[in-house]
Amino acid sequence: MLNIIKNMEKDTACFALEGRLDTVTAPLLESELKEALPSLSVLTLDFAKLEYISSAGLRVLLSAHKAMAGHGSMKLIHVNETVMEIFEVTGFSEILTIE
Amino acid sequence: MKIELRGRIDSNNAAAVEQDILTQLAGGNAQEIILDAADLEYISSAGLRVILRLKKSCPALKIVNVNSEVYEILDMTGFTEMMTVEKAYRVVSVEGCEEIGRGANGKIYRIDQDNVVKVYKNADALADIQHEREMAKLALILGIPTAISYDVVKVGDSYGSVFELLNASSFSKILATEPEKMDWCVKEYVDILKKIHSTVVPAGKLPDMKETVLGWARFVKDYLPEEAGKKLVALVEAVPHDDHMLHGDYHTKNLELQNDEVLLIDMDTLAVGHPIFELGSMFNAFVGFSEQNHEIIQRFQGFDFDTAQIFWHKSLAAYLGTSSERKLREVEDKARIIGYTRLIRRKIRRQGLETEEGRAQIAFWKERLLKLLDTTDTLLFTRSELEIEAVTENLPAVQAFVEEHLEAAGCPMKAKMQIGVAVEEIFVNIANYAYAPEKGTATVRVELSEQPVTVTITFVDHGVPYDPLAKQDPDVKLSAEEREIGGLGIFMTKKMMDDVSYCYRDGHNILTLKKNL
Repeated sequence: MLNIIKNMEKDTACFALEGRLDTVTAPLLESELKEALPSLSVLTLDFAKLEYISSAGLRVLLSAHKAMAGHGSMKLIHVNETVMEIFEVTGFSEILTIE
Repeated sequence: MKIELRGRIDSNNAAAVEQDILTQLAGGNAQEIILDAADLEYISSAGLRVILRLKKSCPALKIVNVNSEVYEILDMTGFTEMMTVEKAYRVVSVEGCEEIGRGANGKIYRIDQDNVVKVYKNADALADIQHEREMAKLALILGIPTAISYDVVKVGDSYGSVFELLNASSFSKILATEPEKMDWCVKEYVDILKKIHSTVVPAGKLPDMKETVLGWARFVKDYLPEEAGKKLVALVEAVPHDDHMLHGDYHTKNLELQNDEVLLIDMDTLAVGHPIFELGSMFNAFVGFSEQNHEIIQRFQGFDFDTAQIFWHKSLAAYLGTSSERKLREVEDKARIIGYTRLIRRKIRRQGLETEEGRAQIAFWKERLLKLLDTTDTLLFTRSELEIEAVTENLPAVQAFVEEHLEAAGCPMKAKMQIGVAVEEIFVNIANYAYAPEKGTATVRVELSEQPVTVTITFVDHGVPYDPLAKQDPDVKLSAEEREIGGLGIFMTKKMMDDVSYCYRDGHNILTLKKNL
């Protein structure tokens, strides 16, 4: 299960993710981002309530990061310790902007 | 009014027969005509026209005791759809026939090379036969291999249903005469058991086994110390409703090997419910019934008590997917609670308390039941093995299955997530590649070992041979622009597990994850 709580204002958006970002739920985030990204210059992903991320979730983050690189920036906030470890193991902590 | 039809009715005598019938009717009540065809050998279209005219004057007309030749004529001409036609029951003798099976409601005999008959012991057998036929049909439609009877016959004073069963021998016979086939029997026996237990039955089609067991528990409660009695009922009440199929009388005499096919032959006890109820009846079949008198199993199954105990133990291990003796004993104890409850009730209802021998038997079971009630807090158990269709939609079910075991082991949050990531990766790989574009199943087994606390998760599929570990690891130092999307999951799996191994054996991909907790 994944809930996405969207908060958008002009070209700035915050997506708060709740639950699990896995093979089953990643397509949901992917389509939400695909729709919003072109008009955004600042995207914040709030991971405070994200319990789980797998490689399927990482793929969505990587492609969003690449898509934003041309016209704005993407950052992650409130990443918990276990999710952070996944970013470290995979080198994503070097690629993504994590606060 | 009953009228007998005799011999041949054709254009030579049809008019005379009609006249005779009308004469008989003139004296009686023509509202109800029953044509008794017990001695009718042949009927031509001239004779059929006579019946049609009779039917016009009496719509409730029916024909009974029709032999199979005449039935065929009536069926071909559409008469069986126009009016009630009851077949005559063929008479079959089972004298000197080999008894090949035994179910809750009767015995099964081989009557010739190709056919067997199940003889029902109770008086109202026709209703039971109908019931069992419906059960068997339902099971067959839901994918359980079974035989459906094609004829009802008269056997002495009772009725029987006839099945085609060629060259078949029961698993009991195999175990008795070819002990080296024990492991093969266990595997086939457990495969069908798992199939039954994974079959969802539409609501209302089968009785609920929980209600039956609850009835036993409430009965036995009155013969136990108050606290123990209450606990017994509470344990059964706490078992959640389950709409998966149970066989209800699953022992080796009810399983037949026909050529290379394994068939279930006794279907009248089908029910729905939690599998612990099935394990309870299996425990009784192999151990409970003959625990005090080992002759019983020899008489009933044809093999000895030791063989029965080994078979039960191996089947339970294969069914649960574990070789841990502790776990086996834990589940066996739950099964014994149900088994002993049933045995005590059965014996008391059969006036067991009125004889010395009966009282001793009941005391034996009661003593064991009380001990078990003392140490058992739930009848629920989880199998260490899950067989599931390998599709990504089933990922949450797989994760829930694994997590249940991890929680029981007190697994820390961080390790739980790491194991989750690895499990997802392997299962999704199987779902996407093992059988594409077809579909197939994956088996997931979770085993815990102590000192050090290690969890081992094994994935087995029978898809195309594929070693996911052979892939080269991605370079995690590359920048976002240079990064490839693939290969990341397997890389994470290798990094976060303590051991990951793959092998291909007997047509199966076997991937094993190990994590020290």
